[in-house]
Amino acid sequence: MSSKPPKGHFRLLYFASAASYTRKSLDDVPAPLALTDLFAHLEKLYPGIGQAVLSSSAVTLNLGYVDVEDQEGTGGCKSSDATVINEGDEVAIIPPVSSG
Amino acid sequence: MAELQGLPEEYRDMSLEELHREIRRMEQLIRLLKDKVELSEPRTSGPDTQDVDLHSTQKTETQTLPCRTNTARKEPGCTRSLKVQEYKRYGRQMIMPEVGLSGQLALKKARVLIVGLGGLGSPAAAYLAAAGIGTIGLVDGDKVELSNLHRQIIHTADNEGMEKVDSARKFLHSLNKEIKLVAHPYHLSSKNAVETLEEYDVVLDCTDRPATRYLVSDAAVIAKIPLVHGSALQTEGQLMVLNNPPIATASKKKGPCYRCIWPKPPPPQSILTCGEGGILGPVVGVIGVLMAMETMKILLPALRTNADESTRKGTPFLLYSAYLNPSFKSVTMRGARENCLACTTMANGRTLKNYGYDTFCGLSCPVNILPPDERMEPKAYRSISPTSGPAPILVDVRENTQYNICHIENSINIPWSTIREDPADAFQSMNKHIQHNGSSQVPCEICFICRFGNDSQLAVRRFREQQQKDSGLKFTCKGDIRGGLKAWREQVDPEFPDY
Repeated sequence: MSSKPPKGHFRLLYFASAASYTRKSLDDVPAPLALTDLFAHLEKLYPGIGQAVLSSSAVTLNLGYVDVEDQEGTGGCKSSDATVINEGDEVAIIPPVSSG
Repeated sequence: MAELQGLPEEYRDMSLEELHREIRRMEQLIRLLKDKVELSEPRTSGPDTQDVDLHSTQKTETQTLPCRTNTARKEPGCTRSLKVQEYKRYGRQMIMPEVGLSGQLALKKARVLIVGLGGLGSPAAAYLAAAGIGTIGLVDGDKVELSNLHRQIIHTADNEGMEKVDSARKFLHSLNKEIKLVAHPYHLSSKNAVETLEEYDVVLDCTDRPATRYLVSDAAVIAKIPLVHGSALQTEGQLMVLNNPPIATASKKKGPCYRCIWPKPPPPQSILTCGEGGILGPVVGVIGVLMAMETMKILLPALRTNADESTRKGTPFLLYSAYLNPSFKSVTMRGARENCLACTTMANGRTLKNYGYDTFCGLSCPVNILPPDERMEPKAYRSISPTSGPAPILVDVRENTQYNICHIENSINIPWSTIREDPADAFQSMNKHIQHNGSSQVPCEICFICRFGNDSQLAVRRFREQQQKDSGLKFTCKGDIRGGLKAWREQVDPEFPDY
């Protein structure tokens, strides 16, 4: 894995079932992208990922939790609709892992 | 702000900063007072030690094994709060400023519950028992299996078939006889979870499926104890301390629970267990070991303030991925969710008895989509007589790694994942394979098989769809082998590996 995404991109990291579904550990995605458009973008790249993985996943932006679908409008670190993923940012898709 | 009842006058007008300072001062004072009490109490007040011969008790009943109390004699003029051998046993950790005598006594007094004695629970239990946690509760309803042993390091091949709680007790007891072990040889359910957790100060969730993850977390919220969460699958692991603090304090908000972080369970068909997805021993082991460390950090008073400081910005969440570089990544998760079901409704109602965990998480039912005439029993396939024509070619749809471990002779391998992603390409490659092997039978017939008989049905359905679109396929499909290779082993070949 190269240490930085190429110019004009942000890095998207996949963990657990997100990595199994995409069969990748990361993607470099063109920036900027509105956080609210992230799941739609992923659904285009990987049809079905929304229901199978994203709907139950936590998402972090630059190592901090963000609410992508902030339907309830609550939470300590909620993102406003205006949150934009910028060039050089790092986003992680973190599905729950239940086994052990 | 509403006036707090019972708050002494002098605190009413204090600034937030002054209040924080006052809290720190009082916490320090409480620790000193507790240490003073510990040092003044006779040695017999320590936790009872247990001495149980598990060889002679082939038990299945659900209460704890009888314990023989080992009462230490109080020597005249002795104010030591540990036994002489305990100073030696715990010396290497006690000389650390993070522990000290007060820390060791705190561990000795602590009651820790470990739910699940598998890949996470094994190393966690071993380290916590070795560190001198006074009372360790062990929950598991399963028995030791051979396939557990590459990662569940406290169980041994000699104990195959034994209740895991008994196998664990045997090992932990041989490691440290100074501690008390309490057996809970059952699976946690919404009926018994809260009352089980309420007996303890901290709980470690070392379980293995979504329903129990939510159950343990909800019970921890109701019982108001911190939850150390760990999980692992394949080459990845996760670690987080949840519900810490379990109730809001003057200086800190309540910590998030599992539901606050993941309010929606993953769809049941996407869940892989270690049995299906696989797991590397050291991956789950490292998470179990770190769970023990997080538990000790919760229990040790000395550096608790520092630990609290580090969590002020959010709940730390550690991800481990063996093939990621660097292997560890730490992110911060959200705080408690204001409308969290567990932190509000369940905590107030103090019960989860009416909550259907299996309904919430969904049950992953066995696939049953083919009509009976498209499903063949393994023994029926085997008994196809050569005079009635050649048997269908078996197409094994397991992943290639599994096919390479073992397969039925003359079967061919086209993984279900390949078929699912690009059926046209997958079946074209099957065409080539059949041509290449010069099958005399035209059109020849295939029959799908997999590990348990689920994916093989999906493959049949996908084949039928593709057949409508592509007239160039040189084969027809008979259906699948019901029950897959598991049934094959039961009906045809008992020597076929059970991996």
